[in-house]
Amino acid sequence: MSGVGRRAALGWALAAAATSAAGCTPSRTAPIGAGGQGPSVRTAPYVPFDVTWMIRPAHGRKYLGAALPGVRVTPGVLDAWAGKAGKAPNLLSYRLSWGDGFPAGETLAVWRRRMLPYLVWDPWKPTLRAIAEGRADAYVRRTALTVRDLNVPLAVSFAQEMNGDWYPWGVRKTAPEEFVGAWRRVHDLFQDTGVSNVIWVWSPTVAGPAASARLRSYYPGDAYVDWLGLVGYYTGTGPHTFDTLFAPVIRKARAFTRNPVLVAGTAAASGARKPAEIRDLLRAVTTRRDVVGFVWSDLDKETDWRIDSSPEALAAFRRGVADPHFGFDVRHP
Amino acid sequence: MTSGHGPVTAAEGLVPVAEGLGAVAEGPGPGAEGPGPGTEGAVAGFGGRAYRGDGPYDPESTLRLRVLPARGRPEPAPGYTFDEITRADWALGPVPDTGWSAAPGARRTWVSRALLACLLLVQAMLSLRLHNTAFEDEALYVYAGHAMIDHLFHGTPDYGGFGTYFSGSPVLYPVLAAWVDSVGGLTAVRLMSLGFMLAATGLLYSFTRMLFNERTALCAAGIFAVSQSTLFLGNFATYDALAILLLALSAWILVRVVRVIRVVQGVQGVQGAKVTRGIRLARGHWALPLAAAPVAALAVGVKYASALYLPTVTILLVLAAHRRLGGRQALRLGAVFTGGVVVLLGIGLATTDYLQAIRSTTTDRAHGTTSVPAMAWDCFRWGGLLFALACLGTVLYTRRERLGEVPGRRAPAGPGTRWRLVLGAVLTGTALLAPAYQIHLQTSVSLHKHIGYGLLFAAPMAGVGLTRLVGAHFRFPQAAIAVGVLALTLGMSQSAQNYGIWPSTTYLMPELAKNVRPGQKWLGQPHEAPVYYLSREGLTDYTLWTSIYYIDYTGRQGRHLMGAEGYRAAIDDGWFDGVVLDWSDQPGDVQALIRGEMRTSGRYRLAGALSYRTSVGTGHFEIWLRVPAAHGR
Repeated sequence: MSGVGRRAALGWALAAAATSAAGCTPSRTAPIGAGGQGPSVRTAPYVPFDVTWMIRPAHGRKYLGAALPGVRVTPGVLDAWAGKAGKAPNLLSYRLSWGDGFPAGETLAVWRRRMLPYLVWDPWKPTLRAIAEGRADAYVRRTALTVRDLNVPLAVSFAQEMNGDWYPWGVRKTAPEEFVGAWRRVHDLFQDTGVSNVIWVWSPTVAGPAASARLRSYYPGDAYVDWLGLVGYYTGTGPHTFDTLFAPVIRKARAFTRNPVLVAGTAAASGARKPAEIRDLLRAVTTRRDVVGFVWSDLDKETDWRIDSSPEALAAFRRGVADPHFGFDVRHP
Repeated sequence: MTSGHGPVTAAEGLVPVAEGLGAVAEGPGPGAEGPGPGTEGAVAGFGGRAYRGDGPYDPESTLRLRVLPARGRPEPAPGYTFDEITRADWALGPVPDTGWSAAPGARRTWVSRALLACLLLVQAMLSLRLHNTAFEDEALYVYAGHAMIDHLFHGTPDYGGFGTYFSGSPVLYPVLAAWVDSVGGLTAVRLMSLGFMLAATGLLYSFTRMLFNERTALCAAGIFAVSQSTLFLGNFATYDALAILLLALSAWILVRVVRVIRVVQGVQGVQGAKVTRGIRLARGHWALPLAAAPVAALAVGVKYASALYLPTVTILLVLAAHRRLGGRQALRLGAVFTGGVVVLLGIGLATTDYLQAIRSTTTDRAHGTTSVPAMAWDCFRWGGLLFALACLGTVLYTRRERLGEVPGRRAPAGPGTRWRLVLGAVLTGTALLAPAYQIHLQTSVSLHKHIGYGLLFAAPMAGVGLTRLVGAHFRFPQAAIAVGVLALTLGMSQSAQNYGIWPSTTYLMPELAKNVRPGQKWLGQPHEAPVYYLSREGLTDYTLWTSIYYIDYTGRQGRHLMGAEGYRAAIDDGWFDGVVLDWSDQPGDVQALIRGEMRTSGRYRLAGALSYRTSVGTGHFEIWLRVPAAHGR
């Protein structure tokens, strides 16, 4: 073979090898099966956020939660509250009315500020019976897809205070079976959609005589619930200690579950007892191993529930949450 | 060329160009040499016929270049005139009838082999283009092979019972695959499959060339090389590639053997006053087909379903022998081969306990529920083109034997019509065996792979069909281009789709590796890929995993619970440390039962849901972990 022939053959061989290598190299738009992801853009995460460690934080660490009025993630609002409390919260509670679009942007902003988003999902319409029967499946699936694709941890409290009588989903208008059916329906649809980044918070109220009477009948089951999210307030006329306000319901609940407790909504009415009640709450949350934290409803509604309703109350709060167990970094186990 | 011949062309005008091109391209015809003696050679190369400017069309020619006749006496151009140099000792050599020969030649062989190498390169590239993690069968065979190596060479008990449900012997391919895996991982095992499929294509080319000719063999190899089953199996670590290679090797040996048998003409008998002469084989040559018997038996051992194709291989031997040796010797050779294979398979069955597995996976396989039209459509998509070409080839080959375009050539002893019909029907009909059996069972499991076995045998006739479509002298190259583009497009798209049909475990394995600890008991679907990948890291082994197909759980009361009861009891007792589920749009009953039981028992929590997309849909893997004691009831 002449020199020219050899060079040509070598050139062809190199071209063939390069073409082969290029053909074997997968590209993103190649078909699934040929190393690519196909023509459509993937929205689901490859690896979901693992929330299992957040359910029971290691080393006795506690959530310092807050429910603030208005636009919660406005930097000024949060920073002002953190400045007053002496520590930034690591859990932020906000509400979503049934039928509204999931606040993906706000949830992401909450998470980026190193707080666990805590969503109170209020099923104003339709009824829990309708949800249990599957008449809102499309909305639930749509919401689940958004939550899955967002891929940040999220605590969801569906139909909070179901054992009270002041909401449409309360004891007056809704049977326990309907509540359980709706809860399981929503939960299962989330799981069927591939959502595993949600912490499910079953959130009864501790107020009223009916609170603990039929508690068990409202419980969907341990496979459906991660936290016992108790809602109770230190009011002017009610119990004044954790042991009298929350402990009776916890004792009742311990008959059917050993899931951790989050005080999912609490505050103390303004008054002389408020500093003591704050100290009692923070002491109980700090010392009880089965309580993972609390959410302070910092609102001025009916009465002044805010932490700074008085200098003494604020000082008690600041001193209590200064405990290093509160306010850990939720982005790292 | 015509201008190069100067005066001849200018003077004679009309030239059958196609044959002239053939003369230049195909052989050392004198027409390629230019002026001088070559000029005359070129004229002779056109069939030795003198030009008749206004005569009828010659039936042997295929293309004519019309040139207007010159008016008046043609004057040679001054620059083209020359004096012919003659020498006293110069003599024109013998001039062939045609410019090229139908007989085999070194140049033709090397050109064909070079084209075959290009085809193999394309096949390799298209196979290596496929990407996915281990399919459950691949993972199963490789880790079963490791278990068998431990069992055979290190005395470790065989807990898997692989011999009872594998569709091939667990001590053949799985052991080979495990050995290769220990050297180079799954990639090496898949590369081994690629080697098997490339070799199968090469053997297909070779025995098709022996049966027909190079052009047909190249067409057959090309159409087979780009079919989806070939591309898929070329990057798939299961029995199939090796089984197809062994079947191709059997066919090649048998066709080859017929060519090397030496024949002795002898007196066969005397009938009255007439002496009949017959064919006798050289001493011992009757046993030559036995060379293929171990290969064929090994193919059956590697994959039991390969036995379905042994009749085709045997008939191929008989037909090939019949053409050269006559019917009696052909049947004799066929009987020898069949006897050899039967004896070897009998020994294999007598010395192993694979009969139950053969029944459950092959002969008495469970019926499925896939609809017949759906399966027929799949078969049509995956093998329809090659099968249609094979049918066309069979019909056209039966009508006319001639495969080359050498003018005036007639094969002295070409095969008869019945022989051609039987050969075409048998080879083409073989493509229907696997589809027909699976349609009968209404199970589409692995149909896209099994269809490739039959396509191997139908490919030679498809090569004939494609050759005939193109026509003599490549008269209709657009036909080859159209068929080639269609075959390539279908093969590429279908192989990619079938290769992406199972979900990738790229992200599942690291998540599992975080949770699986040595000694933990897991329930899983899929469990083969986790066992394969995680056992490589020393995190688990196959004895610690329970599949969704079989459970024998000893409950708290000491009862053996199986099936749904076993799964329920084991989950209620929290017996498994973790569970992996593949939750697609259409989960099976057992998956739904397991998931429902985990929800009601409250012993497990969903730790992670990893979404995936396949070429046919979406779904997600679920990792369920047993909740810690503090969470339990």
